[in-house]
Amino acid sequence: MKAPAFDYIKARSLDHVFTLLAEHGDEARLLAGGQTLLATLNMRLSEPALLIDINGLENLAGITLQADCLRIGALARHHDIEVSELVARHAPLLSLAAPHVAHRAIRNLGTLGGSLAFADPAAEWPCCAVALDATLVLQSQRGERRVPAGDFFLDLYNTDLRDDELISACEFPLPTAGQRVVFDELARRHGDYAIVGLAIRATLVDTVVHDVRLVFLGTGNIPMRARAAEQALEGRTPDAATIAQAQAQLADELRAQADIYHSATTKLQLACVLLRRLLARLAQPA
Amino acid sequence: MELTGEQSIAATCEQVWAGINDVEILMRCIPGCEDIRRISPEETHLRVAVKIGPVRARFAGKLRMSEIREPESFTMSFEGAGGAAGFAKGSSAVTLEPDGQGTRLRYSVSASVGGKLGQIGGRLIDASAQKMADQFFLEFKRAMSGEAPGGGTTSQEGASPTVATKSSATTAQAGLQAPSTSELPGQHWGPAAGHPTSAQTFGGSFRGELQRAFWFVLGVGSTLLTIYMSR
Repeated sequence: MKAPAFDYIKARSLDHVFTLLAEHGDEARLLAGGQTLLATLNMRLSEPALLIDINGLENLAGITLQADCLRIGALARHHDIEVSELVARHAPLLSLAAPHVAHRAIRNLGTLGGSLAFADPAAEWPCCAVALDATLVLQSQRGERRVPAGDFFLDLYNTDLRDDELISACEFPLPTAGQRVVFDELARRHGDYAIVGLAIRATLVDTVVHDVRLVFLGTGNIPMRARAAEQALEGRTPDAATIAQAQAQLADELRAQADIYHSATTKLQLACVLLRRLLARLAQPA
Repeated sequence: MELTGEQSIAATCEQVWAGINDVEILMRCIPGCEDIRRISPEETHLRVAVKIGPVRARFAGKLRMSEIREPESFTMSFEGAGGAAGFAKGSSAVTLEPDGQGTRLRYSVSASVGGKLGQIGGRLIDASAQKMADQFFLEFKRAMSGEAPGGGTTSQEGASPTVATKSSATTAQAGLQAPSTSELPGQHWGPAAGHPTSAQTFGGSFRGELQRAFWFVLGVGSTLLTIYMSR
């Protein structure tokens, strides 16, 4: 199918974007990588009157190392993150997750900002942002607003992003000494939306894990932190008994939602399998 | 897709029943409802703009009530078509039972979604439907609890014109049928209903009447003018 008729404006500056947003409101959509937006247009699932192309805006692009964080511009493509040396060194979780983001063709165009703003419950970047305590930088005519990733995702496709705002960057805190990260997901086909995925961040001292963060994707409407399971692991060596305890907590707190392909029981089972696999991987010597 | 749930609402079964049958209340509570019309006691037509994530599709839908046992239970079947986006159809069984001062409302929905929306949205349809159901009941509870305690005489007047406007907007046949049923909930609703929202409703429908009156006067005026001129 072909998209319905729409207007197209290539934005010259951020101010230009804000003016257009103020003028057109809900009828306008921001076009970054277009990997979701253009597909829904072609399917005629949405009919915006205007697309504001933000691709030319220099200050939304680039990956830079700053004093206390790695700043990734909203327009960074998934592929840029996948191959970046800076990311591999300072936010290795993203390097692990990047190959799971859809297919190569989509990674070449799709952007970090687009994925965060869209907030698909099975998307990798929202999950990683929550796992790493990243901060989203939002800009509007009123100025800049910084929101922790943990507060940004509100509900299914619903974020704290206001109508007149755009995501300009996402800042990932630099890893502390001894910090380990692992990521994996289970999907029907590689590149398809994950059924369940898990990002773990923890500090490893000998074999004992501290400061554990477990964030699941695909189980609920937003990235889900498994706090009770985190507690079950905190300060312990993740041996078989400890892992079983953490998995038991998952059963209580995850409340995985069924979809038409997978029952809640299946999702919980997959979440437990992922937890066991990833904890084993976390404990392996680097 | 299957969806079940229950809600406790701070109003009597009769009030809740009246609320479910009041198109004005439904219009306010159904997320994205742009237009709603009662065609007959059993059938209601509505237009809903679904806005979930990247999807913004307009659905024109029909609700049909059956197995009505006032004020305990009913079955509602629905179907909606959203052009290229796809369609949704299904049915929902609703039961009301007294629960202390309030009412316990239980619902179970089975629905199927087809077309483009079904193909690419299958993964998230359950979650989306649950979200819309939650939004509906949140608003519905607000409407019921906000209006149940108060008592105003204006609201009864408010309820009737609303019904009249709605039915007169539909066909003559529906116009004959509609008041008989809609007045029932209207009466239930009237004494119990409170001020702010029903006052708005009243104002809203009254404005509609004024507009009609304006066009009528304009019509009469221009006709008289034509007659005068042609003399």
